[in-house]
Amino acid sequence: MHVIIATDGSKQSLQAARYLKSFADPDTITSIGVLAVTSPLAAVPFASEGDTGRKDIEELSFRAAAEAATAQIAEVLADWGPKVTQQVRSGSPATEIVKAAKAKEAGLIVVASQSGRASAVLMGSVAHRVLNHATCPVLVVRPGAKVKKPAKR
Amino acid sequence: MTDQAQTTPAEPTEELERSITGRLLFFYVLGDVLGSGIYALIGVMAFTVGGAFWLSFVVGVTIALLTGFAYAELITKYPQAAGAALYTHKAFKSRPLTFLVTFSLLAATIAAAGTLARVFGGTYFNEFVDGVPVALVAVVFIVVLSLINFRGITESVWANMIMTLVETTGLLIILVVGGTVFAQGDADFSTPFELNDGNPTLVVLSGVALAFFAMTGFENAANIAEEVKEPSKVFPKALLGGMALAGILYMVIAFIAAMVAPLADLTAGDGEEGSLLTVVQAGPLAIPELVFSAIALVAVTNTTLVSLVAQSRIMYGMAKQGIVPKVFAKTHPGRRTPWVAIIFTSALVCILLLVADVDRLATVTVLFLIVVYGMVCLAALKLRSSRVDHDHYRAPTALLVLGVVANLGILVYTMVDDPGSLVWCGGIVAIGVALYFVNNAFMKDAPPIDDADLVT
Repeated sequence: MHVIIATDGSKQSLQAARYLKSFADPDTITSIGVLAVTSPLAAVPFASEGDTGRKDIEELSFRAAAEAATAQIAEVLADWGPKVTQQVRSGSPATEIVKAAKAKEAGLIVVASQSGRASAVLMGSVAHRVLNHATCPVLVVRPGAKVKKPAKR
Repeated sequence: MTDQAQTTPAEPTEELERSITGRLLFFYVLGDVLGSGIYALIGVMAFTVGGAFWLSFVVGVTIALLTGFAYAELITKYPQAAGAALYTHKAFKSRPLTFLVTFSLLAATIAAAGTLARVFGGTYFNEFVDGVPVALVAVVFIVVLSLINFRGITESVWANMIMTLVETTGLLIILVVGGTVFAQGDADFSTPFELNDGNPTLVVLSGVALAFFAMTGFENAANIAEEVKEPSKVFPKALLGGMALAGILYMVIAFIAAMVAPLADLTAGDGEEGSLLTVVQAGPLAIPELVFSAIALVAVTNTTLVSLVAQSRIMYGMAKQGIVPKVFAKTHPGRRTPWVAIIFTSALVCILLLVADVDRLATVTVLFLIVVYGMVCLAALKLRSSRVDHDHYRAPTALLVLGVVANLGILVYTMVDDPGSLVWCGGIVAIGVALYFVNNAFMKDAPPIDDADLVT
């Protein structure tokens, strides 16, 4: 089975990958595709949380940031067993995640979600849209969510 | 999607999914350019120049095209989203110069957004709701678009293509109006050749800055450089083709406007009340004014949104490089949008549009942009000596030299013609310099990058 792990460069995405690793059977998973999606028309096409230092103008590439984000996840999964590949697409995140899953005939999509109910309704959450359009099972990991009130992060 | 991705875990392949084809890029450029000027400035231009203001378009479009050649070369040479700032940096390795170009581009997009917001709140909006002050509509407009920017623009270039089709439809309507008037023999062929009093050359030149405003937006193509398939092959054709088509459309439409609409109507209220809608009203076709106004509002909205996104993006990039305080690089944890930069730049847009009119704002935009465009032409020439290890487009050297001269010429002419604009530009630059120093004061621990670090 091929598994798609989507990352937006956040700690939550990293935790989602670790969560998958914690319970899934590496023998069932034949390959893992780590996917980051850049949105070239947005104010910030891709921002990785790990990427806080000062940048030189020549290093300021959103594609490079996306590649760094997929590499980070790939590193977590490197010794686990399944083949790990990395991919950067451009466009609308939810659409591209679903497209990538279809193209690779993935058996599972793993995404992290950090939005609370209000912001998901108002702004639309990527995880929510993936759930609505995916043709395979979706694992939504919510590491930031607190029990009492929706997490801000 | 290829099977290449299936490799060993030790060697993960990067699979680059470049999604933008030549045709999409062409429409992206066309959409960025078309939305801005022609719907906005036709009245002001007719007021400034007279019936023959299409001549100003001929000059403005030509200079913009020269700059387009420089962009085509540099984008294919360095296909990164940073655009003009990156080229200046690579060519001159001078921090103040890079700052000047980056900030000029920021200021230009801010003034452009202000111009467009005032146009939005003007005649077109009045067709729907009459009696609301222009400034109020403009501020609400900017606030709403900024919220959209904050929410995050994830739409594909396809959405942009649809917007472009709407914009083009509006212009096609004008072409049909012009064709009909011509066929019926009602065309007024004297007005399109009338200039306001004064030295004819100078009168035509006085409209060039405004015509130039109509051509802006093509530089945003650098933003998607990383996403274009076979950029070296596709970019020059799509960029220059898009600009040329937009430019020709402008000239024809300017001619039609003077041919169809009475000059007095076009220039009403110092030109702020005249627009393409005036042409439709004067024309023989029964096109509902509301429909045409809606098209114009869509066109202006599209371009304003692009400007707002561009300015928050430039601000974010500057903060990332430590040129302005780091707080401007703060992104919202959920949305991944630079909310501090968005609030700051939108506030500046609102202040500007409250204190200045369309003509002034457009001139300020153009002054800043000419600085950027001139530097890009110069950078293209300077960077001829540095080679890159891939094929790229090479613009004719003579055109680049002409580009530098022409941009410089318009800069000097506009400054002499409208010295008042310099005060405004100076004020805006002062904000930038203040930010620069505030940043340096708070960032003592992180010294500015030495020139030595920049040499690769």
